[in-house]
Amino acid sequence: MNRADKIFICIVVACSVLFYVPLVWSAYQEKDKAKEVVVSFKDQEILRERLDIDHVYKVKGTLGPVTVEIKDHKVRVEKETSPNHLCSIQGWVSESNRPIVCLPNNIVVEIKSSGNFEDEVDTVIQ
Amino acid sequence: MTKTKRMTMITMLVAISIMFHMIEAMIPIPIFVPGFKLGFANIVGLVALYMFGFKVMLEVNLMRVCLASLIRGVLFGTGFWLSLCGILLSSFACALAKRYTPMSIYGVSVAGSCFHAVGQVIAVTFIYQQFFMQAILPVLILLGIPTGLCIAYIAKQVLKRIQ
Repeated sequence: MNRADKIFICIVVACSVLFYVPLVWSAYQEKDKAKEVVVSFKDQEILRERLDIDHVYKVKGTLGPVTVEIKDHKVRVEKETSPNHLCSIQGWVSESNRPIVCLPNNIVVEIKSSGNFEDEVDTVIQ
Repeated sequence: MTKTKRMTMITMLVAISIMFHMIEAMIPIPIFVPGFKLGFANIVGLVALYMFGFKVMLEVNLMRVCLASLIRGVLFGTGFWLSLCGILLSSFACALAKRYTPMSIYGVSVAGSCFHAVGQVIAVTFIYQQFFMQAILPVLILLGIPTGLCIAYIAKQVLKRIQ
């Protein structure tokens, strides 16, 4: 390795770390907001549910049914049909910047922060 | 090198890279990041770049992606487009890095593996019309550095013995 290599690698590392700054910042901003789970098939949204209600949903993927479980403000793909089962191995996800991607089924499970829900308490004055 | 010898050599490079590509698909990876692969086939790409130049490297890489997908039966599937987009960007990045910067084979390989990740993410963004993969891109790029260095080391040893 010569000097140019090292400089290049440092630039790459710096760029990828810098790339995370806006993501971390937006996650921090959305921390206290109400969140929703959005499941999409190819580029269509097929399911949008609240993250604070525990439930098990079933959606249809390319290779078969995909079971999405919501529990304790976290979401996971519980069961699916695919060669490597990467998305069910990924396990529970609670942050909005870590989507669960199941390429063989064309399914993407994401957490998005929604606006305020109607029954959400904004301020409490005592 | 005579014309026939050159042609045979390139054909053999394509054959080896197809084999790497196919075997790699069977090896499970302990680290879980979607889209992460070791990229052994890029050893052959690098060897082609340093032995014959950019044109041959692009040829070998494109042939490899198309033929390996055809053999595995996933031609024009999602994975094929990811590979194609990644390999195109990666080849161009390698060529530019070799030509216009004083970097050695290590830097060139790291550039290739990082731009492979960028290409894949671009392809995913196009296919799924979503921007979720941007969150994984930095991780993929950071993981691309050690794999790129490893591949450069192997390619260097191969070049040393082949010449």
